[in-house]
Amino acid sequence: MTLESATRGRSPRSRVGRAPAWLVGLAAVCAAAAAIPLVYLVVRSADAGLAELADTLLRPRVLTLTLNSVVLAAFVTVTCLVLGTLSAWLLTRLRLPSARAWLLVSALPLAVPSYLAAYGWLVWFPGFNGFWASWLVLSVVCTPYVTLPVAAALRGASGDLEAVARTLGRGPLGAFRAATWPRIRPAAIAGGLLVGLYALSDFGLVSMLRFQTLTWGINAAYGASFDRNQAAMLALVLVVLALVVVAGERRSRGRVVHSPGRNAPGTIRPGRALVPALGVLLIAPGLGVAVPVAGLVSRLVDAETLREIDLVRLAEAIGATLGLAVAGALVAAVLALPVAALAARYRGRLVSAIESVGFLGHALPGIVVGLSLVFFTLSVMPALYQSVVVLVFGYAVLFMPKAIGTMRGGIAAVPGSLLDVSRMLGLSPLAVWWRVTAPLALPSVGIGALLVAISVMKELPATLLLRPTGISTLATELWNRTTVFEFGAAAPYAAALVLLAAVPAVILSGIRGVAKEEV
Amino acid sequence: MSGVSVEDLRVGYGDAVVLDGITLTIPRGSLVAVLGPSGCGKTTLLRAIAGLLPATAGTIRVGDRLLSSARNTVPPEKRGIGWVPQDAALFPHLSVGENIGFGLPRGGRGGREARRARIDELAAIVGLGGLTERAPSQLSGGQAQRVSLARALASRPDLMLLDEPFAALDPLLRSALRIEVAELLRSQQNTSLLVTHDQEEALSLADFIAVMRHGRILQWGTPAEVYERPASLWVAGFVGDTVELDGRWSDGRAECAFGLLDAAYQDGPGVAEPQEGASVRVMLRPEWLRVVDDRGDADPTDTGARGVPATVTAIAYAGHDALVSVLLDSGQPVRARIAAPDLPARGTRVRVSIRHPVLAYPVRTDPVPADPDSVPDDATLR
Repeated sequence: MTLESATRGRSPRSRVGRAPAWLVGLAAVCAAAAAIPLVYLVVRSADAGLAELADTLLRPRVLTLTLNSVVLAAFVTVTCLVLGTLSAWLLTRLRLPSARAWLLVSALPLAVPSYLAAYGWLVWFPGFNGFWASWLVLSVVCTPYVTLPVAAALRGASGDLEAVARTLGRGPLGAFRAATWPRIRPAAIAGGLLVGLYALSDFGLVSMLRFQTLTWGINAAYGASFDRNQAAMLALVLVVLALVVVAGERRSRGRVVHSPGRNAPGTIRPGRALVPALGVLLIAPGLGVAVPVAGLVSRLVDAETLREIDLVRLAEAIGATLGLAVAGALVAAVLALPVAALAARYRGRLVSAIESVGFLGHALPGIVVGLSLVFFTLSVMPALYQSVVVLVFGYAVLFMPKAIGTMRGGIAAVPGSLLDVSRMLGLSPLAVWWRVTAPLALPSVGIGALLVAISVMKELPATLLLRPTGISTLATELWNRTTVFEFGAAAPYAAALVLLAAVPAVILSGIRGVAKEEV
Repeated sequence: MSGVSVEDLRVGYGDAVVLDGITLTIPRGSLVAVLGPSGCGKTTLLRAIAGLLPATAGTIRVGDRLLSSARNTVPPEKRGIGWVPQDAALFPHLSVGENIGFGLPRGGRGGREARRARIDELAAIVGLGGLTERAPSQLSGGQAQRVSLARALASRPDLMLLDEPFAALDPLLRSALRIEVAELLRSQQNTSLLVTHDQEEALSLADFIAVMRHGRILQWGTPAEVYERPASLWVAGFVGDTVELDGRWSDGRAECAFGLLDAAYQDGPGVAEPQEGASVRVMLRPEWLRVVDDRGDADPTDTGARGVPATVTAIAYAGHDALVSVLLDSGQPVRARIAAPDLPARGTRVRVSIRHPVLAYPVRTDPVPADPDSVPDDATLR
């Protein structure tokens, strides 16, 4: 029985056979759009020639920037791994009062853009900068990327196995190492590498806290404008580092065991350890959310800030941010839909290749996409240079993966037997799509678009490079003011950003079942 | 007009052959069960007939319509075949009534009334009158399966295909619902093909059974034929409990631990009887054995009339009856099915005799290839 029910319960992917050519073609075109920045960056660097490439890469300045990026990413990753795994263990194994609320609180730092957290810290401590400052803020902001997947894995690896190991003669720690750690290790490593990717890609935080990494160097070289080739090559170095990390992340993610979470509450009574345990759980949300938001609020209610608020400018920034978010979400959704539909229903080498290309934006730092698109428009269609079209396209490339992931899940969740039944009841394949798949997958398409919109509102580096003159978003206004230490003037923009982007992010993750643990 | 005929149907994925020349003729109005273990290809057969899987070769006809041949394949939506999947597969975004009417033309002004009436009629037929406004999530598993059935019946298909429709239900509900469904299908004069791995379901419901293994049909016949005259030892073991004994062919009878017994030789059609003295495998059903208490007053050498002496070693009690394991004095263990009130106790001395002609099969000299199907499901263990 097992064999046949396994094949019968199959996802619809396995049985439909070959994908229709028009869908493959359409998906390939959409995915190819996502490849433009990377391809163009490589082409451009190749143009410069190997000699110049080697020459640039070996300059002490470049080596220093690279080393700074790598060391910061490594420190942040290790910190997040330790703090995140510990938090996850506390969340799942201790019997905490209102456990679900604690899970949501642990996810909160995800909603705060890293540069916003940096701004909040600078408000309190204007002299706060350098490596350790960047390390601290980046670590607390990124910790949920480890906490949430490890908590999910721990919940799957229920205490049963540990209990069995205990009855077979292992002590508490030995049982954890033998029975539980092997099951959460892939989730922890995948989460850790995701942290590494974010630390490498981050631009706003390190710039505000004045620690010179590759992203900072790219922006500086581009701004200096006499040496744009150097910017391109720094971007290439960054992309190679990011791709290595992403490849590792995908490898270990493949090994994550997905077992149905039983959502059993923790079994260990914390007793006197409750207060220290909650203290550990509060490190990331406290330092990553509470401190910056408190700083922001303190500046906002300041009398001088309120007097100097430029309402027109603020309204313009809000309008621009919302408009760009809607446009970016629409374009990303349109590009993502064929890829998601293909990946949800079919498999094969070609299909997974198309899907991987669609996911490229996930690996590309925003500053790299911005830079590459600047070069691309200047040399291929100068008329579009610094136009909204290119900016929106950049958003679509960067955030398409979010839309693909959500939509693919929604489409794949429509059971194959429903499609069979519809065909048997007289519907053509197109009619099945329209009358059955589309209505059932619609919510996930909407959520995908909403996720993109939220990400667009928070985006900083690509926006800085690509925005047309005269258009400012909340993120760029905040950045411009913070870099010249006008914290009070920055406060209204930061507050608007929290209300527009961070709050919907929290609500959305709540709707999707208390903090999406599959980050 | 004839029923359904499938000729030399072949289906494969790449190099793997899943259906290897299936030929079937289903009389109009009959209910046929395709019975086989996991992975035998029975679901593939159903999907190929439905048009959900392309056939590599062969033809499929329903009535006088050619649905699939080397030259021409009718898409599933044009085949006019009803489909009831295992999981009911109700559209979660539609009400029960809209589910039932999904395949009906939406029609104009007059059509809408007719559609409405047909939906109500079908809901009443499957015993769900008055529930048409409900959402599928508010139904129990049995109710969902009824809606699925009504939905498939709505456009009066020429053929109904049911893919293990009762497998996901709990046992009590399963047996009640399947009797009801079989009656319903018969009352609608539907030609139906039911796939199942449950031999009890096949035996109790079907007019005909096709036993499948490894993509081939091993036997076609009425339930009684398949159970009482299985075409091979494997079929015998798959459709029910067996008692197997070594024997010797002797003048049209089989000689075994029970002496010389009337026997029918089974080795496919047109095969001559084995040679005198050849080894055979004797097969009988546990309920063909009679077990009586041995009061010790009979002549122990008289084995023919009163049965062979034996000792009860174990009893597997199943409520209505029991499988009683006995050890013949010759050292041969056998199992007998005995109706519940007359059970002997363990250790009792008994006499065992045979009350039905037994079956004899050729002894396989070639090594049987090891494959998971040789221990089919839970059927032989029951």
